[in-house]
Amino acid sequence: MEKPEPASLEISAKTVDEAVEIALKELNLSREQVKVEVLKEGKKGLWGLGTESARVRVTAQLEGPNLEAVAVEVCHQLLRFMGIKAQVTAVDPPPTVTTPVSLDIRTDDSGILIGRRGETLAALQFIINLMVGRRLHGEAGVSLDVEGYRHRHYESLQNMALRVAERVTATGRPVTLEPMPARERRVIHLALADRPDVSTQSTGEGDARRVEIRPKQ
Amino acid sequence: MKELVEYIARAVVDHPDAVQVTQVEEDGRTILKVQVADEDRGKIIGRQGRVAEAIRTLLRVAAIKQGTRATLQID
Repeated sequence: MEKPEPASLEISAKTVDEAVEIALKELNLSREQVKVEVLKEGKKGLWGLGTESARVRVTAQLEGPNLEAVAVEVCHQLLRFMGIKAQVTAVDPPPTVTTPVSLDIRTDDSGILIGRRGETLAALQFIINLMVGRRLHGEAGVSLDVEGYRHRHYESLQNMALRVAERVTATGRPVTLEPMPARERRVIHLALADRPDVSTQSTGEGDARRVEIRPKQ
Repeated sequence: MKELVEYIARAVVDHPDAVQVTQVEEDGRTILKVQVADEDRGKIIGRQGRVAEAIRTLLRVAAIKQGTRATLQID
């Protein structure tokens, strides 16, 4: 039987960079072709005491017209079985480099499809990525939007991040934001990545994970 | 609703032929029972139940569209 798992590897090494390097060699891929998850940061320790190795999971990132076609098909089928009439189109080109495929869904049922705080849309995106990733053996990286809902939501997150950053700089005190899912935290990190005056850091575990915005000294 | 659960379940397990979904009506609500190969139980539930939870969320929409309520049961 064909191996259904995505091309993925878990590697331990002294540092995260080292582990990633080993994994890339094993998979024969470059840094741009993979998604890296840091499972354990690793610690240097003192004179060899308390040293912990770093552990990463490296997964091949899928791309190209085939990925797009499969993603559209899977999304379309799911919506059909859910009883939602919709048009699914791939947004060309995708809005960011790390999102190889972005689908926009046009429907009269947008409210029910987005769900409370976007949870239905998030579930649909999760299932699509799981199904497409398994079918094509890799990390699918499909992002979904319903008539620009996500786009508008991300824009408001960016604006909020900039406002909070201003406040952090003005007061010199760090501010911790509300807990957010990974994709939204990423929007905050990216929005402030180039700022010379503040830095961002995610703290907490699971559903309670939140971004802290701190003044840079 | 049955088609939805079947479509997702077959795609996330290692043994799609072993997937069986049965739909039962009980007290005005619909129960969807999913059976998968023993070694696939983890796949359909997912880490911290994420896969099962996502299927339930999508199933809820399918049920609302049909004017009913549905429960997912993994046997």
